[in-house]
Amino acid sequence: MKLLSKRNSYFLFAILATAFFYSKDGDITTSVYATGAAFALPLALAAMVGIMCERTGIVNIGIEGTMLLSAFVAFFVSSLTQNIIIGLICAIFTGSMMGLILAVMAVSWRMDQIIAGTILNILATGLTSFLYVQGKTIPSVFQAIEVPVLSKIPFFGPVLFIHGALTFIGIAIILALYVAIYHTSWGLRSRAVGEHPSSADTAGVSVARLRYINVTIAGGIGALAGAYLSLELVGSFERGFTAGKGFTALALMIFGRWNPLGALAAALFFGLAQAYANQLMIDQVVNIPTQFTAILPYVMTIVVLTISAGKVRPPAAEGQPYEKGQA
Amino acid sequence: MIKRISAVTAALALATVGFIVPAQAATTEADCGTAGAFCVGLVTDLGKVDDKSFNQSAWEGAKAGAAKAGGFAKYIETTDSKDYAKNMALFADKGYNVIVTVGFLMGDATAAAAVKYPKIKFIGVDQFNSSTATNNTGLIFDEDKAGFLAGYLAAYLTKTNKVGAVFGMKEVLPVRKFGEGYENGIAYGAAERSKKIKSTVVYHAAGDNAFADPAWGATTANQLLTQGYDIIFGAGGSTGNGALGKVAQKAGAFCIGVDTDQYYTVPEAKACIVTSAEKKLSLGVSTLIAQAKAGTIKGGNFTGQVGLSPFHDLDSKVPAVVKVRLKKVTTGILAGSISTGFKG
Repeated sequence: MKLLSKRNSYFLFAILATAFFYSKDGDITTSVYATGAAFALPLALAAMVGIMCERTGIVNIGIEGTMLLSAFVAFFVSSLTQNIIIGLICAIFTGSMMGLILAVMAVSWRMDQIIAGTILNILATGLTSFLYVQGKTIPSVFQAIEVPVLSKIPFFGPVLFIHGALTFIGIAIILALYVAIYHTSWGLRSRAVGEHPSSADTAGVSVARLRYINVTIAGGIGALAGAYLSLELVGSFERGFTAGKGFTALALMIFGRWNPLGALAAALFFGLAQAYANQLMIDQVVNIPTQFTAILPYVMTIVVLTISAGKVRPPAAEGQPYEKGQA
Repeated sequence: MIKRISAVTAALALATVGFIVPAQAATTEADCGTAGAFCVGLVTDLGKVDDKSFNQSAWEGAKAGAAKAGGFAKYIETTDSKDYAKNMALFADKGYNVIVTVGFLMGDATAAAAVKYPKIKFIGVDQFNSSTATNNTGLIFDEDKAGFLAGYLAAYLTKTNKVGAVFGMKEVLPVRKFGEGYENGIAYGAAERSKKIKSTVVYHAAGDNAFADPAWGATTANQLLTQGYDIIFGAGGSTGNGALGKVAQKAGAFCIGVDTDQYYTVPEAKACIVTSAEKKLSLGVSTLIAQAKAGTIKGGNFTGQVGLSPFHDLDSKVPAVVKVRLKKVTTGILAGSISTGFKG
């Protein structure tokens, strides 16, 4: 591996830039990076849903709906039982069921997967809008935990090691998913099913079964992203709560080339850009029109995408229903 | 199978176009357009009717106004800004007498509808009306005054001398008026205390969800909190509510609500809401509906009342001296003897 490969030079640039900002004002830089991480986590988790589904050949545009309904269930069950753990468990069950419904439509019924995902989104919007009631509260949010010792490290401590429980679970899932996709037999089979299902079938992998399992688990991860929003980040629920994050996540998945770490990096980049856009407004350093600062994260993402992406290739069998015996 | 499923999809899609919910009142919708019936239709902006701030207050005003007039009220939630005219036409075609449109962004569509339906009285909440049509009345507020008072109070309550705000879209005039008034109020209070107080307003990164992004509001509020800001004014539908909820999780920090007394509407923020920069929206809407019923509504613009809500649970945290000063400044601001410094 070349030491100064294209990828490494980006990392080097990012590290140098961070060090430069940190030397200018340590506290602000730490705060901005911690904020960027908070912006990034739900997006990264939602992107994992997309990766898990598309790697096995199922397009899931119902991530938004999965997150929305799960955030709703997480909040209202927590409010009803006054216990956020029960709320979280019910949310993950709900998300998995959303995944299962998608699998039934996409795998068993061989429906158009875009329509199947849209149904999930409409279902979630309709249900949460209709059932929503005001004035409910939860006993508390998942409070920030300070990891002993590690959280005392300057810069890295506050950015990486002072978060709520769901953030840590989320980061663990992202790392585990990376290992699972590239270094386990399950990952190899999943990728095979997403690239060339008939070959995988010939080799004895049950395409339908694997797709069912992966899409259902992915739904559970989507639920965690939703529950993070309502039980850790905000501590409430409002209609239209997820505000399009499930769709942004799909873009980040492509930006990260269907690789969990790639998507995480993309989400961190996007989150950091948002945090810096905010910081420009907070500091009022120069009198830039807010319209400009507002579009900054999007422009930066497009620029980086254009420079770095090159040719992006999705899993070959993505979006195609599989029938035994087809070529 | 495909056919059956697409039929289900179509039905679900229809269900999301708009939730239409009537309020209880004397007449029913079937009577609208007949003599003696009095029907009020309300079209929300992209936010929801139960947004705990301005759509909700306007709807409560519409219900109250209609009930008082012995009429009937109903709302439509707009889900796409391209539907403004269509949603108004739904009411107009059924013979409604009054149509209330909520939100600055609907101003042009309302003015156009007023020309198209000269017999219907239009009330545009938060819409400065520059037309001469007598059937179109803008209900406007001096948000800069409410913002100024909130800022003045914040300048006296801050311990870190850093006061912030998390807002919706800057292009929306009332939001900007709150923001500039707030910053000028902070400066006014800081000058009185001869202290240097840093103030900042962070506006949402525009787009369709500027008023419906609580996660952004919460994260941005937290960004300010970690930088030592100890009072945060959250304004802009559920985006602002998200900010309020986050501030409540931090001990010792105060938050300021907007539009209505949000102590009642955002229960998760009770611990931090010291006051709300209130626009008496319900009162304004119901007053104008009463005028429409009586036939005295004139067109042009009607300025509603503004002010600060009670301190509620945090009453003991506001020193008596500050209360006295605030009262004096409130009188000055409302009478116009103190300028909010809003330039437009």
